Amino acid sequence: MSALLLAAWYDLRDLSGISREITEWVGNWGPEWLASAVSGAIGAIAILAVIGPTLMLLIWTERKVIARLQVRYGPNRVGPRGLLQPVADAVKLILKEELVPRAADKWLFFLPPVLVFIPALLVWGVLPFGPHMQVADLNVGVLFLLAVSGTNVLVVFIAGWASNNKYALFGAMRVIAMTISYEIAMVLALLTVVFFTGTMSINGIVLWQQQEDLILIVLLPMTALTFLLGATAELNRTPMDIAEAESEIVAGYHTEYSGMRFGLFYAVELANTLVMSAFMATFFLGGWWLWGLDAWVPSWIILLAKTSLVYFVFIWLRGTLPRLRIDQLMAFCWKFLVPAGLLFVAIAAVERTLLLEYGWDRTIALPVMAAINAAVTVAAIGAYARVTGADARGAPAGPRMARGRLGGLRAARQLAQASSGGD
Amino acid sequence: MDGVAHHLAFWPLAVITVGAALGILVSRNLIHAMVMLILSFIGVAGLYLLLSAEFIAVVQILVYVGAISVLMLFAILLTPRAARDNAETAMRYPGLILMGLVIAATVFVALETDWSVVREEPVTESARVIGRSLINEFVLPFEIAAVLLTAALVGAVALARRDDEDIDAHEESLTLEGQDDSGGSS
Repeated sequence: MSALLLAAWYDLRDLSGISREITEWVGNWGPEWLASAVSGAIGAIAILAVIGPTLMLLIWTERKVIARLQVRYGPNRVGPRGLLQPVADAVKLILKEELVPRAADKWLFFLPPVLVFIPALLVWGVLPFGPHMQVADLNVGVLFLLAVSGTNVLVVFIAGWASNNKYALFGAMRVIAMTISYEIAMVLALLTVVFFTGTMSINGIVLWQQQEDLILIVLLPMTALTFLLGATAELNRTPMDIAEAESEIVAGYHTEYSGMRFGLFYAVELANTLVMSAFMATFFLGGWWLWGLDAWVPSWIILLAKTSLVYFVFIWLRGTLPRLRIDQLMAFCWKFLVPAGLLFVAIAAVERTLLLEYGWDRTIALPVMAAINAAVTVAAIGAYARVTGADARGAPAGPRMARGRLGGLRAARQLAQASSGGD
Repeated sequence: MDGVAHHLAFWPLAVITVGAALGILVSRNLIHAMVMLILSFIGVAGLYLLLSAEFIAVVQILVYVGAISVLMLFAILLTPRAARDNAETAMRYPGLILMGLVIAATVFVALETDWSVVREEPVTESARVIGRSLINEFVLPFEIAAVLLTAALVGAVALARRDDEDIDAHEESLTLEGQDDSGGSS
């Protein structure tokens, strides 16, 4: 528990020492409320200082990694290895003309690019970078995360509606439909986590993992998967980016936004992805803790390393998977993720009761439970794949030409007849 | 409610809440009114936070800002012309008089009541306390609410769902149209 002791202010393993020194100094000298205000301001400035440069780097990383996944070079002209590409992009976006549609709602049109930053920045406040490095350790941290990230929907809706463009409105409606559905799956996933850890404080969840010497993805693989997919949907990233599907609805809710306004939407999308990776790392990969390594390596570096790992998975998903249709997305959420989430809520409730009320030995019970949960996860995914996956009818044995006007409903009818009685 | 910090937090929140509520009344565009309502909800959540009711504040954001207002926006969008046209009504002046009376009554009650002041410290872990009392003392109301909500959900699905016969008839009409102009290719 050495990491829990208060470190000296110059100790780089725990940057909260510096903030504490300043706050104490202000507290000795000024009123108490000024000290808490200064403490909050330090946290806010620190978060902004982290996000700004990281975003620039993320734009480059994302484009470069996707390019590599698709066997391209990616940006490599501006600066060494294309590292200055984000700067060039930003300059281009700032210099571009800002168009406002004549029929747009005059004052609601200007709000979303600004408003969209608020939830994206607020959720950083409850993210623990170390045992003491957290702006606000709320008792209801998990709920706070869900509540604040959920308000993103409203901003997107305002953007889509105020543009007075049918594609923008379609995009906004798709975002709302998808986010509301996947939020249920995410709530169920986090509920399972809270069942086991017995706390809604996010630092408490990390401390539980440290105390049990176990990262939660091992214990709850299905829950981690649900959270990852729910986050992908909430972030509108490519397997689930129907909200801005270029081939269908131009650019979705930000169709009418040009110049730096579009740039802000783009930046917030990346910032949200980063923060969701950080929360995924915190909930399921142990956050700032790594089997005692956090006593030697600064805890925030461990968290950033884990965040990068999850972020890479997000880029990987984006680079390899095709875009899904909206009905496929909704069906996947309501017919698989939500039932599976409910199943795991029940399983977690039973297992938690066995641990706490019946006092089962944790060193034996936890690995057994992890094995059972992994087996149930594999069985659930296998069953779903068997029910909905491709079968012989969908995959013809040889090449086949569509003759006449075959397709759509008639093709479906013929296939149904062929399968029921024909052959 | 004492100390500079409380005043610094309370007055902006109060102004936001009440100002946004006034904005709802003044705005002629329903979507603008909705945005104002959301702002008002957020202000109320801030006031809860000021009263050390973290859980209620977060649930206020989660339920009212995240869910109820989205529902209302959908309802407005699905109502023809509602978003753009908030027409004049003859009941305007009677409405204003009624509003003035209600405000006067509320202010009178608020000023005249001898409010009891609680001297206890606020509950620190409100989520835990609320959760425990929901599954101990108030388990029956909790379960009844759960059943009611499930019934509402099932009812909504039943209402929105089309009958199988309707779907069959619809598909039949599509198929017939298709056959008519394809000229018999099978």
